[in-house]
Amino acid sequence: MADTIARDRSLTARHVGGVYGRALVAQIRAITEYPADFWVMASAGVMWNLLQFAFLTVLFATVPDVAGWSYHEMLLLSGLLSVAAGSTALLCDGVWSTGQMVLKGEIDYRMTRPAPVVVQVATTHIGMQGFGEVAFGLVMAVYGWIGAGLGLAAAPVGVLALVCAVVIECALVTAFCAVNFWIKGPMSNFAFMLIDLQNSAMTMPLGLFPSGVRIVTMFVVPVAFVNFVPVAVLTGHLSGWWLVGTPLAALAALLAAVGVFRLGLRSYDSAGH
Amino acid sequence: MASVDVALATISFKRKIAYKTTWIFSVLFGGWSLLAGLAVWNNLIGDGELGGYDWQSMKAYLIIGFLTSTLAWAGSDWEMANRILDGHVAVDLTKPVDFQRARAAEYIGGMTAAVPAAILGTTAAVLIFQPAPPASALAAALTALSVLFIFPLAFCINYLSVLACFVTQRYLGVQWARDCFLAFFSGMMVPLALMPVWLQGVAWGLPFVHFTTTPASIYLGRVDTAGALGLIAVEAAWAVGLWIGARLIWNQLVKKVTVHGG
Repeated sequence: MADTIARDRSLTARHVGGVYGRALVAQIRAITEYPADFWVMASAGVMWNLLQFAFLTVLFATVPDVAGWSYHEMLLLSGLLSVAAGSTALLCDGVWSTGQMVLKGEIDYRMTRPAPVVVQVATTHIGMQGFGEVAFGLVMAVYGWIGAGLGLAAAPVGVLALVCAVVIECALVTAFCAVNFWIKGPMSNFAFMLIDLQNSAMTMPLGLFPSGVRIVTMFVVPVAFVNFVPVAVLTGHLSGWWLVGTPLAALAALLAAVGVFRLGLRSYDSAGH
Repeated sequence: MASVDVALATISFKRKIAYKTTWIFSVLFGGWSLLAGLAVWNNLIGDGELGGYDWQSMKAYLIIGFLTSTLAWAGSDWEMANRILDGHVAVDLTKPVDFQRARAAEYIGGMTAAVPAAILGTTAAVLIFQPAPPASALAAALTALSVLFIFPLAFCINYLSVLACFVTQRYLGVQWARDCFLAFFSGMMVPLALMPVWLQGVAWGLPFVHFTTTPASIYLGRVDTAGALGLIAVEAAWAVGLWIGARLIWNQLVKKVTVHGG
């Protein structure tokens, strides 16, 4: 195991990037072979977001605001989360199979290849629902952006928020799926719980929840920095200083993902041994 | 029920129990959503009411949603999907067991494994949050009956979504789209009473509504006894209709299975 990790260290970023890029391109090439699959999955991604849009529209037909947040601000909140979640499906959907691979001993031969295991695992699939999610998430975010009165001047902050949201989401999903190295099971329950937490709480203003939830989502599992903090800064609900935390959270999440996956590989003992 | 059905259900039950973390998480998922729902609706309703729900009845509504969703999402849909995705379905076709019936037995077995956890979680939620009591003893009994119909309904809806795997390479996106559809049109995300009339019409025309709105409406006395019996009859009709519909769709999709290219 130690040999593999040592070999990982010797890999250059260019080589790793090349492997990652080629693996994703191979998956995209495979997608073109299954057009029905693509349309079914992309439609599923759109449907999911359409219902979130419908939920907010129905809710705001009854109430003028939710904890001081307007309809368009909450659309921006949901839109950014959708783009981040959809991006994980496009960029690292394979990590959801970590538990299955550990159970079946399928990590074995990936450890013998000259590329980081996490990159190989992440690129075993592309979740095609991500295309629909990202597309409709962007529509929601842009509609919310315009409706909330945000102009082009705030665009650089929006781009920073978007990039950091994607990095944090991908890193956290990877780290939570890697928990299956220790807690054996076919399902990535911790990652499912993360997504559940985000869908339940992070589509709503954090002020609705007890302080414990706010502390956990900001400083323990920084899901608040995926969408809540940047949108709250953009719309004036939080001071601009909070924005500094977004790239820091992205960096911390990335390091945590790499660290957890590496520790997982150390404890990996193949299937049935 | 044949002994093979019981055997398959038992295997599925034991498999679910074997993965204890999965078992615990099925409650935690719903538990977290329940807490988030309580925080949101407490803020929105306050001392008033929304769509005819005051805070007490909304608590009951959300707890019923927690119970039904814990049961509905506890089945073995991934096992079904993986059989199709990894090609095991080809082996299943050679077995002298009806595929749909066998999967139904497994699914119900998996759901049964979640019953103790669902009851425990619901009891804890009732004791902690003290929701509105049932409208009457009869309403409570009819609510329990309507919840029982969630077993066949959940299987049929999950099975139909799993059949999409004949034309897709992954199940995850299909699962999330279905779960979101179920959460919205069942009234778990937002009660139907708050929806515009046309959307309420759409929701009542779909089977998802029976996962939350039907049991909650019966429990809170928003429908009278005749209405409750009518809703339960509709649940039964959906269970039969979806079962037959799934069989027809299976007959078409199974033609896509090729074994060793021939």
